[in-house]
Amino acid sequence: MSAHAATGGSVPAPTPDAGRFGMWIFLATEVLFFGGLLTAYAYGRIQWPDGFGVASRHTDVLLGTLNTGVLLTSSAVVALAVACAESTSHRRWTGWLLYAAAALGLAFLGIKGLEYAQDWHEGLFPGPAFELAGTAGAELFYMLYYLMTALHALHLAIGVATLTVFGAGCRRGRPWANAHRIDIAALYWHFVDIVWIVLYPLLYLVNRHA
Amino acid sequence: MKERDFTAHARRLGWAWLALLALMLASLGSSYVPMGAGNAAAGIGIAIVKSTLVVWLFMRIGSASPSVRVAAATGIAAWCLLTSLSGLDYATRSAPQASVQQPEQLRPLLEKERSR
Repeated sequence: MSAHAATGGSVPAPTPDAGRFGMWIFLATEVLFFGGLLTAYAYGRIQWPDGFGVASRHTDVLLGTLNTGVLLTSSAVVALAVACAESTSHRRWTGWLLYAAAALGLAFLGIKGLEYAQDWHEGLFPGPAFELAGTAGAELFYMLYYLMTALHALHLAIGVATLTVFGAGCRRGRPWANAHRIDIAALYWHFVDIVWIVLYPLLYLVNRHA
Repeated sequence: MKERDFTAHARRLGWAWLALLALMLASLGSSYVPMGAGNAAAGIGIAIVKSTLVVWLFMRIGSASPSVRVAAATGIAAWCLLTSLSGLDYATRSAPQASVQQPEQLRPLLEKERSR
Protein backbone atom coordinates (compact mmCIF):
# COMPACT_ATOMS: atom_id res chain seq x y z
CA MET A 1 0.00 0.00 0.00
CA SER A 2 1.42 3.36 -0.91
CA ALA A 3 1.94 6.12 1.66
CA HIS A 4 -0.63 8.18 -0.19
CA ALA A 5 -3.27 5.49 0.07
CA ALA A 6 -2.33 4.67 3.69
CA THR A 7 -3.13 8.20 4.81
CA GLY A 8 -6.39 8.27 2.96
CA GLY A 9 -5.09 10.46 0.16
CA SER A 10 -4.09 13.28 2.49
CA VAL A 11 -0.35 13.29 1.62
CA PRO A 12 0.31 16.64 -0.02
CA ALA A 13 1.97 16.69 -3.43
CA PRO A 14 5.46 18.21 -3.50
CA THR A 15 5.45 21.91 -4.23
CA PRO A 16 6.79 22.93 -7.65
CA ASP A 17 9.81 24.54 -5.98
CA ALA A 18 10.82 21.40 -4.05
CA GLY A 19 13.20 20.28 -6.80
CA ARG A 20 14.91 23.66 -6.96
CA PHE A 21 15.12 23.78 -3.20
CA GLY A 22 16.76 20.33 -3.12
CA MET A 23 19.31 21.37 -5.74
CA TRP A 24 20.14 24.56 -3.86
CA ILE A 25 20.68 22.54 -0.65
CA PHE A 26 23.07 20.32 -2.62
CA LEU A 27 24.83 23.39 -4.06
CA ALA A 28 25.22 24.82 -0.53
CA THR A 29 27.13 21.65 0.43
CA GLU A 30 29.22 22.07 -2.71
CA VAL A 31 30.07 25.63 -1.62
CA LEU A 32 31.54 24.16 1.56
CA PHE A 33 33.34 21.45 -0.45
CA PHE A 34 35.13 23.89 -2.76
CA GLY A 35 35.22 26.51 0.01
CA GLY A 36 37.59 24.38 2.09
CA LEU A 37 40.03 24.32 -0.80
CA LEU A 38 39.70 28.08 -1.27
CA THR A 39 40.49 28.56 2.42
CA ALA A 40 43.61 26.39 2.02
CA TYR A 41 44.56 28.48 -1.02
CA ALA A 42 44.09 31.75 0.92
CA TYR A 43 46.32 30.44 3.71
CA GLY A 44 49.04 29.39 1.23
CA ARG A 45 48.91 32.66 -0.67
CA ILE A 46 49.16 34.75 2.49
CA GLN A 47 52.09 32.64 3.75
CA TRP A 48 53.99 32.44 0.43
CA PRO A 49 52.86 35.35 -1.78
CA ASP A 50 56.03 35.32 -3.90
CA GLY A 51 55.95 31.55 -4.47
CA PHE A 52 52.28 31.66 -5.47
CA GLY A 53 53.04 34.57 -7.84
CA VAL A 54 55.93 32.77 -9.52
CA ALA A 55 53.90 29.56 -9.84
CA SER A 56 50.82 31.36 -11.20
CA ARG A 57 52.93 33.05 -13.90
CA HIS A 58 53.85 29.56 -15.15
CA THR A 59 50.21 28.70 -15.88
CA ASP A 60 48.99 29.26 -19.46
CA VAL A 61 46.91 32.43 -19.13
CA LEU A 62 45.78 32.28 -22.77
CA LEU A 63 44.27 28.80 -22.42
CA GLY A 64 42.86 29.70 -19.00
CA THR A 65 41.13 32.79 -20.43
CA LEU A 66 39.89 30.85 -23.45
CA ASN A 67 38.40 28.22 -21.13
CA THR A 68 36.73 30.93 -19.04
CA GLY A 69 35.10 32.34 -22.19
CA VAL A 70 33.98 28.84 -23.24
CA LEU A 71 32.36 28.17 -19.87
CA LEU A 72 30.66 31.58 -19.63
CA THR A 73 29.23 31.01 -23.11
CA SER A 74 28.00 27.54 -22.16
CA SER A 75 26.22 28.97 -19.13
CA ALA A 76 24.44 31.57 -21.30
CA VAL A 77 23.45 28.79 -23.74
CA VAL A 78 22.01 26.68 -20.88
CA ALA A 79 20.05 29.69 -19.57
CA LEU A 80 18.62 30.16 -23.06
CA ALA A 81 17.77 26.44 -23.23
CA VAL A 82 15.75 26.78 -20.00
CA ALA A 83 13.91 29.81 -21.46
CA CYS A 84 13.14 27.79 -24.62
CA ALA A 85 11.89 24.85 -22.52
CA GLU A 86 9.46 27.22 -20.79
CA SER A 87 8.21 28.67 -24.08
CA THR A 88 5.74 26.65 -26.19
CA SER A 89 6.85 28.25 -29.45
CA HIS A 90 10.61 27.77 -28.86
CA ARG A 91 10.61 24.40 -27.09
CA ARG A 92 12.02 22.62 -30.15
CA TRP A 93 15.37 24.40 -29.68
CA THR A 94 15.90 23.18 -26.11
CA GLY A 95 17.54 19.86 -27.01
CA TRP A 96 19.94 21.43 -29.51
CA LEU A 97 20.94 24.16 -27.06
CA LEU A 98 21.63 21.58 -24.34
CA TYR A 99 23.75 19.61 -26.83
CA ALA A 100 25.63 22.83 -27.71
CA ALA A 101 26.33 23.55 -24.04
CA ALA A 102 27.53 19.97 -23.50
CA ALA A 103 29.82 20.35 -26.55
CA LEU A 104 31.26 23.54 -25.03
CA GLY A 105 31.82 21.60 -21.80
CA LEU A 106 33.72 18.95 -23.77
CA ALA A 107 35.77 21.69 -25.45
CA PHE A 108 36.65 23.01 -21.99
CA LEU A 109 37.81 19.56 -20.89
CA GLY A 110 39.86 19.18 -24.09
CA ILE A 111 41.60 22.52 -23.55
CA LYS A 112 42.20 21.66 -19.90
CA GLY A 113 43.75 18.33 -20.96
CA LEU A 114 46.04 20.18 -23.37
CA GLU A 115 47.07 22.47 -20.53
CA TYR A 116 47.81 19.52 -18.22
CA ALA A 117 49.99 17.97 -20.95
CA GLN A 118 51.91 21.26 -21.30
CA ASP A 119 52.37 21.49 -17.53
CA TRP A 120 53.65 17.91 -17.43
CA HIS A 121 56.25 18.59 -20.16
CA GLU A 122 57.37 21.78 -18.39
CA GLY A 123 57.95 19.87 -15.12
CA LEU A 124 55.17 21.65 -13.27
CA PHE A 125 53.71 18.51 -11.73
CA PRO A 126 54.55 18.24 -7.97
CA GLY A 127 57.20 15.61 -7.31
CA PRO A 128 60.97 15.01 -7.41
CA ALA A 129 61.37 16.66 -10.85
CA PHE A 130 59.33 19.75 -10.02
CA GLU A 131 60.68 22.68 -12.06
CA LEU A 132 60.17 25.38 -9.41
CA ALA A 133 61.66 23.34 -6.53
CA GLY A 134 63.72 26.31 -5.29
CA THR A 135 60.72 28.57 -4.78
CA ALA A 136 58.92 28.20 -1.45
CA GLY A 137 55.18 27.85 -1.89
CA ALA A 138 55.30 27.05 -5.62
CA GLU A 139 54.73 23.33 -5.16
CA LEU A 140 51.88 24.00 -2.73
CA PHE A 141 50.29 26.25 -5.36
CA TYR A 142 50.49 23.50 -7.98
CA MET A 143 49.09 20.88 -5.59
CA LEU A 144 46.07 23.11 -5.01
CA TYR A 145 45.93 23.96 -8.73
CA TYR A 146 45.66 20.30 -9.76
CA LEU A 147 43.29 19.41 -6.93
CA MET A 148 40.92 22.29 -7.62
CA THR A 149 40.97 22.07 -11.41
CA ALA A 150 40.64 18.27 -11.41
CA LEU A 151 37.68 18.39 -9.00
CA HIS A 152 36.13 21.10 -11.16
CA ALA A 153 36.70 18.99 -14.29
CA LEU A 154 35.03 16.02 -12.59
CA HIS A 155 31.99 18.17 -11.77
CA LEU A 156 31.98 19.47 -15.33
CA ALA A 157 32.09 15.94 -16.78
CA ILE A 158 29.03 15.05 -14.67
CA GLY A 159 27.36 18.21 -15.98
CA VAL A 160 28.17 17.29 -19.60
CA ALA A 161 26.60 13.85 -19.08
CA THR A 162 23.51 15.41 -17.46
CA LEU A 163 22.99 17.96 -20.24
CA THR A 164 23.49 15.29 -22.91
CA VAL A 165 20.86 13.03 -21.30
CA PHE A 166 18.39 15.92 -21.03
CA GLY A 167 19.23 17.03 -24.59
CA ALA A 168 18.47 13.53 -25.87
CA GLY A 169 15.29 13.41 -23.77
CA CYS A 170 14.10 16.71 -25.27
CA ARG A 171 14.88 15.65 -28.83
CA ARG A 172 12.89 12.43 -28.35
CA GLY A 173 10.03 14.22 -26.59
CA ARG A 174 10.36 12.26 -23.36
CA PRO A 175 7.99 13.55 -20.64
CA TRP A 176 10.67 13.42 -17.93
CA ALA A 177 12.77 15.98 -19.86
CA ASN A 178 10.40 18.80 -18.88
CA ALA A 179 11.15 22.48 -18.26
CA HIS A 180 11.17 22.09 -14.48
CA ARG A 181 13.79 19.33 -14.45
CA ILE A 182 15.93 21.06 -17.08
CA ASP A 183 15.87 24.17 -14.90
CA ILE A 184 17.17 22.12 -11.95
CA ALA A 185 19.95 20.54 -14.06
CA ALA A 186 20.84 24.03 -15.31
CA LEU A 187 21.39 25.21 -11.72
CA TYR A 188 24.13 22.62 -11.34
CA TRP A 189 25.78 23.72 -14.59
CA HIS A 190 25.74 27.38 -13.56
CA PHE A 191 27.29 26.47 -10.21
CA VAL A 192 30.17 24.69 -11.97
CA ASP A 193 30.59 27.85 -14.05
CA ILE A 194 30.74 30.00 -10.89
CA VAL A 195 33.43 27.74 -9.40
CA TRP A 196 35.57 28.40 -12.49
CA ILE A 197 34.82 32.15 -12.36
CA VAL A 198 36.34 32.15 -8.85
CA LEU A 199 39.28 29.87 -9.76
CA TYR A 200 40.30 31.89 -12.84
CA PRO A 201 41.82 34.96 -11.09
CA LEU A 202 43.19 32.84 -8.23
CA LEU A 203 45.10 30.41 -10.45
CA TYR A 204 45.95 32.36 -13.62
CA LEU A 205 46.18 36.04 -12.76
CA VAL A 206 48.47 36.25 -9.70
CA ASN A 207 51.37 38.73 -10.12
CA ARG A 208 51.01 38.76 -13.94
CA HIS A 209 52.51 42.26 -14.07
CA ALA A 210 55.79 41.18 -12.45
CA MET B 1 6.37 32.03 -21.23
CA LYS B 2 4.74 34.46 -23.65
CA GLU B 3 6.53 35.44 -26.87
CA ARG B 4 7.16 39.02 -25.71
CA ASP B 5 8.52 37.84 -22.35
CA PHE B 6 10.71 35.27 -24.07
CA THR B 7 12.23 37.88 -26.40
CA ALA B 8 12.94 40.25 -23.52
CA HIS B 9 14.43 37.45 -21.42
CA ALA B 10 16.60 36.18 -24.31
CA ARG B 11 17.86 39.72 -24.91
CA ARG B 12 18.71 40.06 -21.22
CA LEU B 13 20.65 36.79 -21.36
CA GLY B 14 22.57 38.06 -24.39
CA TRP B 15 23.56 41.26 -22.60
CA ALA B 16 24.54 39.30 -19.51
CA TRP B 17 26.78 37.06 -21.64
CA LEU B 18 28.49 40.10 -23.20
CA ALA B 19 28.93 41.68 -19.75
CA LEU B 20 30.48 38.48 -18.42
CA LEU B 21 32.98 38.35 -21.30
CA ALA B 22 33.80 42.05 -20.83
CA LEU B 23 34.36 41.48 -17.11
CA MET B 24 36.59 38.50 -17.88
CA LEU B 25 38.75 40.71 -20.14
CA ALA B 26 38.75 43.47 -17.49
CA SER B 27 39.98 40.94 -14.94
CA LEU B 28 42.71 39.77 -17.32
CA GLY B 29 43.76 43.35 -18.16
CA SER B 30 43.83 44.50 -14.54
CA SER B 31 46.24 41.69 -13.62
CA TYR B 32 48.91 43.28 -15.87
CA VAL B 33 48.67 46.67 -14.15
CA PRO B 34 50.86 46.85 -11.04
CA MET B 35 48.49 47.80 -8.21
CA GLY B 36 49.96 45.87 -5.27
CA ALA B 37 47.19 44.41 -3.14
CA GLY B 38 44.74 46.06 -5.54
CA ASN B 39 45.43 43.31 -8.10
CA ALA B 40 44.04 40.60 -5.83
CA ALA B 41 41.13 42.86 -4.82
CA ALA B 42 40.30 43.60 -8.48
CA GLY B 43 40.49 39.91 -9.47
CA ILE B 44 38.29 38.75 -6.58
CA GLY B 45 35.94 41.75 -6.88
CA ILE B 46 35.33 41.13 -10.58
CA ALA B 47 34.81 37.40 -9.88
CA ILE B 48 32.15 38.31 -7.29
CA VAL B 49 30.38 40.61 -9.79
CA LYS B 50 30.45 37.86 -12.46
CA SER B 51 29.15 35.26 -10.00
CA THR B 52 26.34 37.62 -8.93
CA LEU B 53 25.32 38.09 -12.58
CA VAL B 54 25.18 34.32 -13.08
CA VAL B 55 23.25 33.73 -9.83
CA TRP B 56 20.81 36.57 -10.50
CA LEU B 57 20.14 36.26 -14.24
CA PHE B 58 20.99 32.65 -15.12
CA MET B 59 20.00 30.92 -11.87
CA ARG B 60 17.14 33.40 -11.25
CA ILE B 61 17.59 33.57 -7.51
CA GLY B 62 15.55 36.79 -7.46
CA SER B 63 12.37 34.93 -8.45
CA ALA B 64 13.09 31.87 -6.28
CA SER B 65 11.14 31.07 -3.12
CA PRO B 66 12.41 32.38 0.26
CA SER B 67 13.44 28.83 1.29
CA VAL B 68 15.70 28.59 -1.79
CA ARG B 69 17.27 31.96 -1.01
CA VAL B 70 17.84 30.96 2.61
CA ALA B 71 19.52 27.70 1.46
CA ALA B 72 21.84 29.63 -0.87
CA ALA B 73 22.69 32.24 1.77
CA THR B 74 23.31 29.54 4.40
CA GLY B 75 25.96 27.88 2.20
CA ILE B 76 27.86 31.13 1.73
CA ALA B 77 27.43 32.19 5.39
CA ALA B 78 28.62 28.81 6.71
CA TRP B 79 31.72 28.98 4.51
CA CYS B 80 32.48 32.56 5.68
CA LEU B 81 32.08 31.50 9.31
CA LEU B 82 34.32 28.42 8.97
CA THR B 83 36.96 30.36 7.01
CA SER B 84 36.96 33.11 9.66
CA LEU B 85 37.42 30.55 12.43
CA SER B 86 40.28 28.87 10.53
CA GLY B 87 41.82 32.27 9.82
CA LEU B 88 41.70 33.15 13.48
CA ASP B 89 43.68 30.00 14.26
CA TYR B 90 46.35 30.71 11.63
CA ALA B 91 46.57 34.41 12.53
CA THR B 92 47.29 33.76 16.21
CA ARG B 93 50.19 31.33 15.88
CA SER B 94 53.74 31.72 14.55
CA ALA B 95 54.22 30.99 10.83
CA PRO B 96 54.13 27.21 10.50
CA GLN B 97 55.81 25.32 7.67
CA ALA B 98 53.41 23.40 5.48
CA SER B 99 54.44 19.78 5.73
CA VAL B 100 53.05 19.10 2.24
CA GLN B 101 56.07 20.82 0.67
CA GLN B 102 59.39 19.22 -0.15
CA PRO B 103 62.44 20.27 1.95
CA GLU B 104 64.01 22.08 -1.02
CA GLN B 105 60.83 24.15 -1.32
CA LEU B 106 61.21 25.38 2.23
CA ARG B 107 65.00 25.84 2.19
CA PRO B 108 64.94 29.47 0.90
CA LEU B 109 62.36 30.35 3.53
CA LEU B 110 64.38 28.74 6.34
CA GLU B 111 67.61 30.42 5.17
CA LYS B 112 65.83 33.77 5.13
CA GLU B 113 64.62 33.24 8.69
CA ARG B 114 68.09 32.13 9.83
CA SER B 115 69.75 35.23 8.35
CA ARG B 116 67.49 37.56 10.39
